[in-house]
Amino acid sequence: MGLIPDFKKIATRSPWIYRINAGSCNGCDVEMATTALIPRYDIERLGCQYCGSPKHADIVLISGPLTVRVKDAVLRMYEEIPDPKVTVAVGVCPISGGIFRESYAVLAPIDQYIPIDVNVPGCPPRPQAIIAGVAKAIEIWRERL
Amino acid sequence: MNFLTIFARNLKQGPQTEAFPLGPAFTPERLRGRIEFNADHCEGCRICERVCPANAIRFAKTPDGMTFDCWHNTCVFCGNCEFYCPTDAIHQTNDWDLSHVNADKFDMVEHGLIPNQKCVECGATALNTAPVIKNAKPPLSAEEYTELRARCPKCRAKYLKNRKVPA
Ligand code: SF4
Ligand code: SF4
Ligand code: SF4
Repeated sequence: MGLIPDFKKIATRSPWIYRINAGSCNGCDVEMATTALIPRYDIERLGCQYCGSPKHADIVLISGPLTVRVKDAVLRMYEEIPDPKVTVAVGVCPISGGIFRESYAVLAPIDQYIPIDVNVPGCPPRPQAIIAGVAKAIEIWRERL
Repeated sequence: MNFLTIFARNLKQGPQTEAFPLGPAFTPERLRGRIEFNADHCEGCRICERVCPANAIRFAKTPDGMTFDCWHNTCVFCGNCEFYCPTDAIHQTNDWDLSHVNADKFDMVEHGLIPNQKCVECGATALNTAPVIKNAKPPLSAEEYTELRARCPKCRAKYLKNRKVPA
C-alpha cells in the first residue's frame, strides 16, 4: 500500500526537461543550453536532465513566439509529452510576443494554444532566472504527480 | 605530476558552480533588468512610449491624471526608455528574478500616476509633471521649483519669462 507514495517521492526528485523551439531567435535557446550544460549553472543539482525525446519529458520549456509556420509541429510535439506535464514559457516571446508582438507571422501569446504554468520573462532571461522558473515548475509538478 | 597541481588548485578554489538557487545569485551592478518608474521626476513628454521597441510602455489619460504602465512581460530590457528619458524618471534596475506562475501574468506591471492639479495662478487643471528646467539660467532654487511646479504649462512659461535674473 505504501509503495505508490514512496515511488512518487522518489520520482519527484528527477523531472526530465524537454525543450521546444516555437520560432525563437535562438537567444533563449542559448540561455537554456547554458543553464543545462555549463557546470557554472548546473541545473542537474535540482535533479533535472535534458532529454531528447518528448515522450520522456516531465517539464517542457518553450521559447519563441509560435510562428504560424511551426504551429502544427509544436502542437503535435506537445501532444506527445505524457501527462502530468508542466509547461514553462521562457522569454517574453511566448508570453506576449515580446519584440514580435502584433506581427502577422506570429501567434503569440502562446497560452491561447498551450496551457502555460510558469512564465520567465526576459529577452533572453538570464540562466539564474530560468533556474528559478524551473524550480517553480518542479513545485507545481510535485503537486500534480 | 601535473594532475596533482590541478587537483590541489581545484581543492583550494572549490566548485565553480554558482550557489543559486540554493544560495544567493551573483548579480552585476549594471545588469539590465526590471523597469522602475518614478512619477515625481516625469516630465510627461512620452518619449519613452515612442522609443520602446516592444510597446511595453503605455500612457493613458484618466480623470485623475495620466497613468504610466510598463508590462514586464513584453519589455525586452533594451534600456531605450532610460537612455532617452530627459529626466531620471524611468530607470532600469538589476532585478532579474521575474519568473511567476501564469495566473499572475497580467500583474507584472510597473504602474505610476502623474496626478492632475489646479494651477495656482489661473486655476486651470493640468498635469503635475516635473517642469522642464534644463536650460533655465541660473538654476532654479528649491522654492522657485515648487512655485513653478504648481502652475500649468502656460503659466510656467510666463513664470520663467518674468523671472528676475540677477545681473
Ligand atoms: S524572448 Fe528575446 S531572446 Fe528569447 S526568443 Fe524571443 S526575441 Fe529571442
Ligand atoms: S518617463 Fe521620462 S521619457 Fe517617459 S514621459 Fe516621463 S520624462 Fe518623458
Ligand atoms: S527597456 Fe526597452 S522594451 Fe523595456 S520598457 Fe524600456 S524601451 Fe521598452
